[in-house]
Amino acid sequence: MKTLIGIVALLLAWQIISLMIGATLILPTPYQTFEALIKLFGEVDTFSAILSTIWKSFLTLLLVMGIGIPIGVMMGSNDSLYEFIRPGVMVIQSVPIISWLALVIFLWGIGWRGPILISFLSLLPTAIFTSASGMKNVDKSLLEMAKVYNVSRKDVLKDVYLGSIMPFILATFEVSVGSVWKVMIMAEYLCGGSGIGVLISWARQYVDVPQIYALTFIAVIIGLSTERISRFYAKKAFKKWEFSL
Amino acid sequence: MGIFALKVQNLSKKFGKLSVIEGWSFDVKRGEKLTLFGPSGCGKTTFLRIVSGLEKPTFGEIQISSQKIGMVFQEPTLIPWKNVIDNLRFVRKNDEKIRNILKKMNLSSFETYFPSSLSGGMKQRVNLARALLINPDLLILDEPFFSLDLATKMEIMKDIKRVHEKIGFTLLMVTHDVKEAIYISDRIILLSPRPSRILKEFPISLKDEERDFSHSSFITLEGEFIKEILSRTSKI
Repeated sequence: MKTLIGIVALLLAWQIISLMIGATLILPTPYQTFEALIKLFGEVDTFSAILSTIWKSFLTLLLVMGIGIPIGVMMGSNDSLYEFIRPGVMVIQSVPIISWLALVIFLWGIGWRGPILISFLSLLPTAIFTSASGMKNVDKSLLEMAKVYNVSRKDVLKDVYLGSIMPFILATFEVSVGSVWKVMIMAEYLCGGSGIGVLISWARQYVDVPQIYALTFIAVIIGLSTERISRFYAKKAFKKWEFSL
Repeated sequence: MGIFALKVQNLSKKFGKLSVIEGWSFDVKRGEKLTLFGPSGCGKTTFLRIVSGLEKPTFGEIQISSQKIGMVFQEPTLIPWKNVIDNLRFVRKNDEKIRNILKKMNLSSFETYFPSSLSGGMKQRVNLARALLINPDLLILDEPFFSLDLATKMEIMKDIKRVHEKIGFTLLMVTHDVKEAIYISDRIILLSPRPSRILKEFPISLKDEERDFSHSSFITLEGEFIKEILSRTSKI
């Protein structure tokens, strides 16, 4: 009920501010945005753009988790390796997106690969550093206990390390899910061949501001629902380690 | 090694320039219950870490005949995301033996509990059950009653005594509590503050029924021991 009241209040405030500004070019009314949204859902291109953004985001997420976590785990378990890899990851983290943009346009031109690479490189450092922190935070007394009892390396990895880094993996997952949409849509806007970002780019060219707001609304809804759904399933999957979460 | 479980010869340990243990020499017979008694920071835990293979001595030698060492850590050191039975499975995968130990330690109804739902005393019991699970030749107790109330402490001390009578492992404990030391041990080694040296060996010749905090013999011995500690430490 409170959420509903909050939404109504937000729409009211939006309506009042847009009437006060009185310029659709800056802030269209909720009604104009809703109209644009209905129009968008009447076009096949909108659905193919949404699907395009979704699959690219999922692939990016998979790559970030699949590559970032193992690198982070390796870095976290070996100090020399950590010091060796850290500068490279920090460089990736500091490079402005616009520089990656130049690179991917020279490399592949406009298309699907550019947005994936840019999103991947934007999210990878967080995944690496978070997983490395998880490894570094493993309770040393548990490792000593395992040593005293001659527990096999395999069991220590499975039962101590994995359990310890699980909250960090979940955090990486949540941060990545929350950010991937924003980064992907921006990357599509800059160098994509299809997707919500590309539709926003076209709407900008046609100065169709209500459509930009409608597309932003779609992006927000996808982002929020994905975050909720993925959080629910991640918690379920990681239930085994719930006492470390 | 023969009748000895442990032989310590001129053992010293330094951390950088900080000398913690200086020239300890003593033997521990198989089945004996020995307590190292000394003030905080005198290297008691460091010695246990050397015995359990977690640290190496700087000088001297330590010979251990025991193949299986069980350790009751000062903090319970249980895996938080594993329940009681899985914490025990971590050191030995034998459910029959685990259930047996849990029964002996009155923990059977807690086997599916996670450490976060157990009291300090319960956690320490699981810690002890885990150490006993491997059928230790040598049981190391590192201030195991440090954070426990008197009633829980008494219960666990009785558990240890009872299991020792059945299994007969060698017991090596460190503490700075006089009552605990007298209650558990056959012999107490009194240590000086850091850099720690052995001040005196103190045999405990109490009968079983006299090992009671309120028994006159226990109280007399406690008084003598405290007097000994005060006279020794005032000379340092």
